Amino acid sequence: MSSLNTALSIASEALSASTTALQTVTNNMANANTPGYTREVVEFQSVPGDNNGSANPGDGVTIASVQSLRDELLQRQIEQQTQDQGSANAQLGSLQQIQTVFTTSSQDIGTEMSALFSSISTLSTAPTNSADRQAVLTAGQNLANAFNTASNTLTQQQTALNAQVTQDVSQINQLTQQIAALNPQIAALQSQGQDGGTLQDQQDQLVLQLSQLTGVTITNSNDGITLSTGNGTPLVMGSQSFALQTTTGSDGMVHVLDANGNDITSTLSGGDLGGSIQTRDQTIPGLLNQLNSLAYDFGNAFNAAQANGYDQNGNPGGDFFNVPATSANAAASISMAISDPSLIAASSDGTSGSNGNLANFSAIQTSPLGSSGQTPTDSYASLVYQVGTLTSNANAESNATSSSLLQLNNQLNSVSGVSIDQESTNLISYQQSYEAAARVVTTVQALYQVLLTMGTSAAE
Amino acid sequence: MRVTTMVPNVDYDIQQTQQALSTALQQLETGQRVNAPSDDPAAAADSIRSLAESANVDQYTANVSTLQSQLQSADSAISNIVSSLNSAITLGTTGANGTESAANRQILATQASSLLSTIVSAGNASYQGSYLFGGSASMSAPFVAASTTYVSGSGTTSSPLSASTALTAGSVTTISDATTGQTMTFTAAAGDTIGTLQAAVASAVSAGTLSAGITATINASGQLQIATNNSSDGIVVNSDDSVLGSMSAASGTSVANAYAYVGNNAVNQVQVGDSMTVAANLPGSQLLGNSNVLDAMSQLITALQNGTTQQIGDAVTAVTAALNSVDVQRVPLDNTITQLNNQESYLGQEQVTLSSQQTSLTGISEAEAATNLSQAELASNTVLAAAAKVVPETLLNYLQG
Repeated sequence: MSSLNTALSIASEALSASTTALQTVTNNMANANTPGYTREVVEFQSVPGDNNGSANPGDGVTIASVQSLRDELLQRQIEQQTQDQGSANAQLGSLQQIQTVFTTSSQDIGTEMSALFSSISTLSTAPTNSADRQAVLTAGQNLANAFNTASNTLTQQQTALNAQVTQDVSQINQLTQQIAALNPQIAALQSQGQDGGTLQDQQDQLVLQLSQLTGVTITNSNDGITLSTGNGTPLVMGSQSFALQTTTGSDGMVHVLDANGNDITSTLSGGDLGGSIQTRDQTIPGLLNQLNSLAYDFGNAFNAAQANGYDQNGNPGGDFFNVPATSANAAASISMAISDPSLIAASSDGTSGSNGNLANFSAIQTSPLGSSGQTPTDSYASLVYQVGTLTSNANAESNATSSSLLQLNNQLNSVSGVSIDQESTNLISYQQSYEAAARVVTTVQALYQVLLTMGTSAAE
Repeated sequence: MRVTTMVPNVDYDIQQTQQALSTALQQLETGQRVNAPSDDPAAAADSIRSLAESANVDQYTANVSTLQSQLQSADSAISNIVSSLNSAITLGTTGANGTESAANRQILATQASSLLSTIVSAGNASYQGSYLFGGSASMSAPFVAASTTYVSGSGTTSSPLSASTALTAGSVTTISDATTGQTMTFTAAAGDTIGTLQAAVASAVSAGTLSAGITATINASGQLQIATNNSSDGIVVNSDDSVLGSMSAASGTSVANAYAYVGNNAVNQVQVGDSMTVAANLPGSQLLGNSNVLDAMSQLITALQNGTTQQIGDAVTAVTAALNSVDVQRVPLDNTITQLNNQESYLGQEQVTLSSQQTSLTGISEAEAATNLSQAELASNTVLAAAAKVVPETLLNYLQG
């Protein structure tokens, strides 16, 4: 049966609903800039009236639920792109530093090789000129330095990446711990049919940070989310997190071990960790191999040319460069073997003024060198091409993932993001419905007054 | 699509335009489109090859210049020789006409002797410290005054050298003959003795490298003596064997107007193009030896001093033949000089070609770079202006109260 009481109680429910709605709007606005916050909306539901004939209106409004609007698929896509971006950026950072040593300057390997051949050609016009002889030794020294510098730049990058790997693993362990701690709490909420709310937002943010660091596979289970690395090493299962360990291997590199001590370094990909490991263990060793081959073959070729001729004292030529027995580390260790200009084996017949053997040195410039079968210049040019391509590809990947993330984030924002404008209009709406409900209360109160003073002298 | 905020898009756009601006600025400053291999890996690799070729062309150009000077020097020396020979022919012709007195002929002989000295000086010409006509033995003068007798520094009457005295392995002893114009070189092997050297001298004589009458003996003072028994012949002996001590000419045995060639026949080749080398020197043995210049001059001087008219005439014929021969020897040198001049122009063009190749690979014109920069600035300003307009505005700005 309708009554003033019913009207009053509907009005007071309406006030309460409006208040909750206002609180939701306030909460959204307050969190407009909170990273990872998914906006909440109230679901109003009208309360049906008693089924007592057609004259009964509804029984007001109630708040069925407060929902967080999230899109799990977009979230997973964003995490995936973040992993790709982390990896690309890690590689790009290293390669950009490596690239400087292969950029043409007054001291790069290509320039110094040319300078060495030029100095030998100058000597061929005046084989007994001691200044010209000294210039050859100086050019040789400069080239050895250029090789040393290039090699050191590469190995220094590896050292830096070792530190990076250690740091990443430590951060990963912290994050997996925090993620695991949230799992039971979120699972409890979900088992009651509720959305994970702010806790879910927090966990999503942690997973995003983790994605920046490493590639992870994410699956849902009854105990919350399960995280594992690319090859299945578990990181988080339910409330438990599994810490990764680092150890320095016999190769001087930092290796990553799973909780059981198995070496999983080569299986890791994605994120800063994956990118760093790839650069350190694949890209840089590949470049070092080529560099070492070039230094080794070049040094040996020069030594062979020396052995073919005679120095200024009529003695058979000795080594020009100190070259190790194998090409391993050749670029780091190559150095000059002679410091006395008269030991350059320019002569082909033992007389001091003969330049006949210098042609053997000059021929090195145009002959296929060692195992690569390329001339020194071509060999170096290939190396530069490779470094350039690797860097350019990493750059392109980094740009592509940035652009992709922008799109995905915009899409996610359209679902979950707080629009200040929208909340402002909601604020106005809820303010008005609050005012309307309050007006009803005032009106009912006045009607009560009328009712109570009905038939008395006070009712005038 | 519901849009909540435009800040991420604005951030991204600003980042893009700033990057473009930075790149455009760098290209304008350096004049290079490719400042790092990643800017264009293929162009960077090609550029390295091109720069290496440029460096070679620069070097060839420098070599051409050095050789031009060197060969010009050699050519002037040969000019001196040619004019001296012409003067000698004039002297000889005068002396051969039978009207000159003995005293006059002596004067002519003296003048001819002086011409010979000039020729020898020219043969010993040097350029920047290196002797031009010594082959690859360019550290010492190639034409040396000869003597009949050379003795070793070692060996005395009380402790004489002998045929069984061992020589230092690897030591080199040379005997240069003014008459044949050739040099015998003896390199001692392990176990060789002075006797081995003596046998080598004998076989050099049989082979004609040394003229008949040259012997190697132990003299009364216990020294190794290498000498010719022909008083008008001369030799020059050198040895670096410490067992012998240094070989020196016995005093009073120098032969007037006799010079031996102590250089060698080696020709240094120098590269002045990717597939072009030129001979950088002319050995004295070819220049004067093949032409018998010294021999002919010596013959002329002797004939003028005390020969018959017939003999003087014969000597003039010899000197004339020698002059013709020198002219022939000179031709390749002059050809080389011409070749070098042509190569100089060619290399100049090559350098221009390579330079423009490099520009097209990695360079950027100032005009293009400046245009890129203005466009980048425009884009950047547009984004910033749009952002400034749009970002701060929300509904709240417009709601009253």
